[in-house]
Amino acid sequence: MKLTVNGISHELTSPPLATLLDVLREELGITSPKAGCEQGGCGSCTVLVDGEPQRACLTPLAAVDGSEVTTVEGLGSPEELSAVQQAFTHHYAAQCGFCTSGMMIAAEAYVARGGTDDHEAIQEALGGHVCRCTGYVKIIDAVAAVARGDSFDLTTTAPSAGMTNLGGVS
Amino acid sequence: MKAVGARLPRYDGIEHVTGRTQYVDDVRVPGTLWTKALRSPAHSATFDGLDTSKAEAMPGVHAVITWKDVPLLEYGHLSALGIPADEPLLAKDEVRYKGQPIALVAAEDEETAMAAVEAIGIELEEREPLLDIRRAFDDDAPKIHQWGNWYPHFEGEMDCRQIRKGSIDDAFAQADTIVQGVYRPAAIEHVPLETQVSLVVPEANGRLTIYSCTQALYFSMGVVAAHLGLPLNKLKVVGGTVGGGFGGKVDTATETMCALLAQKSGRPVKWRWTREEEFLCSSTRAPWHMEVADAVTKDGWILGRKMLTLHDSGAYARFSPYGLTKHSFHHTGAYTIPNLHFDGYVVFTNRVPTTAMRGFGVTSVSFATETHMSRIADVLGLDPYEVRLKNANRIGDTSPNRIVYTDPSTVPVVKALAGGMDVELAPEYAAMGPGQREGDLLPEHLVAQLADPEDH
Repeated sequence: MKLTVNGISHELTSPPLATLLDVLREELGITSPKAGCEQGGCGSCTVLVDGEPQRACLTPLAAVDGSEVTTVEGLGSPEELSAVQQAFTHHYAAQCGFCTSGMMIAAEAYVARGGTDDHEAIQEALGGHVCRCTGYVKIIDAVAAVARGDSFDLTTTAPSAGMTNLGGVS
Repeated sequence: MKAVGARLPRYDGIEHVTGRTQYVDDVRVPGTLWTKALRSPAHSATFDGLDTSKAEAMPGVHAVITWKDVPLLEYGHLSALGIPADEPLLAKDEVRYKGQPIALVAAEDEETAMAAVEAIGIELEEREPLLDIRRAFDDDAPKIHQWGNWYPHFEGEMDCRQIRKGSIDDAFAQADTIVQGVYRPAAIEHVPLETQVSLVVPEANGRLTIYSCTQALYFSMGVVAAHLGLPLNKLKVVGGTVGGGFGGKVDTATETMCALLAQKSGRPVKWRWTREEEFLCSSTRAPWHMEVADAVTKDGWILGRKMLTLHDSGAYARFSPYGLTKHSFHHTGAYTIPNLHFDGYVVFTNRVPTTAMRGFGVTSVSFATETHMSRIADVLGLDPYEVRLKNANRIGDTSPNRIVYTDPSTVPVVKALAGGMDVELAPEYAAMGPGQREGDLLPEHLVAQLADPEDH
C-alpha cells in the first residue's frame, strides 16, 4: 500500500483494513487528525483525500491506496500559515484545539470549492464537526473571513460581533 | 492592565492551527501497552469469583490489576477538605453503577487487551438499583451506600446542608401569596472531544512520568500518590494540554490505574477511553431536584424562601458535598431574600458519580431562581424585569450565608438584559443603580439583613 501524505510518498506496512486514522497517527506519526469518537460522529479525524474531506477513522487503507492525503501539517507551517490557519488564529476559532484540525480541513475544502461567506452554507459545510468549546460562532466567522478573502494582522485578533458591552449601562 | 480588553493572540494559537499541539494521545513512547477495563454491566450488584488467571496467561498480556493491587483502595476526591473517602479505585465485592471499573488489563495492543478482559471470570448477582433521588428516602428504597442513601458528614455530622436566616414563619405569615415551583435540571455529559486519557511511563530511576489530560494537575498528583502510597517526588506529572474538560477532567479518572499497570508491567501504559466509555462511564453534571416556596407581597417583594434541594451524587460522594455547599450559599440567586429556610441533601443513587461542571452547584439554582422570578411576576401580574430589579442584590445586602455584597452586578445585568430585549423600563427602574438601599427600596423587611459593606 502507498500513500502520498502532505507531498511525501510512503510505502506502508499497516494491514489493508487498518483505518487511515491509525495509519496516519500510529505508522506515520502524523497526529493532527484526532481519535475523538472513532465512529464517524465528531469530525475530528477529517483529512483531505485527493482534495475531498473524509473521515479517516472510517476509511480503510485499502480504499485509499495510492491517494494523496493532506492533513493540517500540510496546510502551512508556523512560519507560513495558510489563509485558513491565519483566519482561525485571528478569530479565536480554536479554543482547546482538539476539533480544530478537522474543522480547518473542512474549511479548506469549502473554500477550495468556491464557498462564499454565507453563514448557512458554512454551517452546512461544517455540519459534521462537533466543537464543545467555542459555540461555533468564531469558527464560522473565521471561515467566512477566508471566503471573503480578508487579510489578517496576527499581532492582534478580531473583535467578535457577538460580544455585548455591559460596561456603559450601570 | 495591558491585557484587559485587549485582543491578544493566544499563546497556544499557532500550535493549535498547525496541528503541533501535543495532547496526551499524541505522545509517542516505544513499547507502550494498551489498556482495557472490565466494567460493571449492572447498575447495582454484588460479585465474587473474580478470576484473572486466564487473562494473565494470555500471550501479549503484561499486567492485570484488581482491587488487591491498590495499596490504598479508598481515597476521597476531597479528603484534603475533610470529606471522608467512600469510593474504591477498583470495585472489591460490589458494584454501584453501570460502568464501574472492576479490573484492568495492559496488553501489547487493543485487541489483545479486549480479549483478555473477556477472559476475566466474575459472578455477579444483580440487586434492585436506586435510580431516582425522589425515592431515596422511602422506607422500602434499596439501601445502596455504606453511609445510608444520603451524605451524613456535614459539619457536626449533620445529614444535610442547612441555612436559616431571619424568621421564615413571620415571612410566610405576612405574605399576600405563596409562589411554589419544582425545578429538575437533568444530568449533562461534558463530552470533551478528547476522551479521558493518560500515559504512564516507568522511569529507570524508579519515578513514574504521568502524561495526563487532567484539569487539576497538582490535585491529580495528590490522588495518585495517595492511592499508590508514594511520596510526591516519585511522580512527574506532565499536563496543561486538555482537549476539552468543562469540569469532567477534575476527576482523576485514569491516571492512578494506569500508574499501577505501569508499575506492575514495567512498561509504558496508555489508557484512552472510547467515546462509548466517555458517555456511559464518565461522571456527569448532576441532576438536581429543587422545590422552592416563596412568600411574596402583591407589589413584588420576596419576604422569605423555603427550599429543599436533592443533589444526585450518583454512586459515590466525590465533589458533591462541596457542590451542594456552594449551591446553598447561592440559593437566592442574584436577589436578596431576608428570611430563609434551606435544606439540601447529597443523595446517592446507582447512576454514574456526578462531578464538577462549569459553575458547579450554582447553575442549577440559578436556573431555578430565574425561572421562579419569572413565575412570581407572572402570578402577580407584574413586569419580570421590575420584580428582578426590586429584589436585586444591592451594596450592603447580605447573602444567605451573611456575606455582605460590596459590588453586586444584578442591577446593571438586568438593565442590560432589558435593553437587549428592547424592553422599556419605568423611569424609577431605568434610573436604578447598584448602590445601597434607601427610600422605597428599603422596606422594613429588608432592614435587619443589612450589613456594613466596609466590614467585608
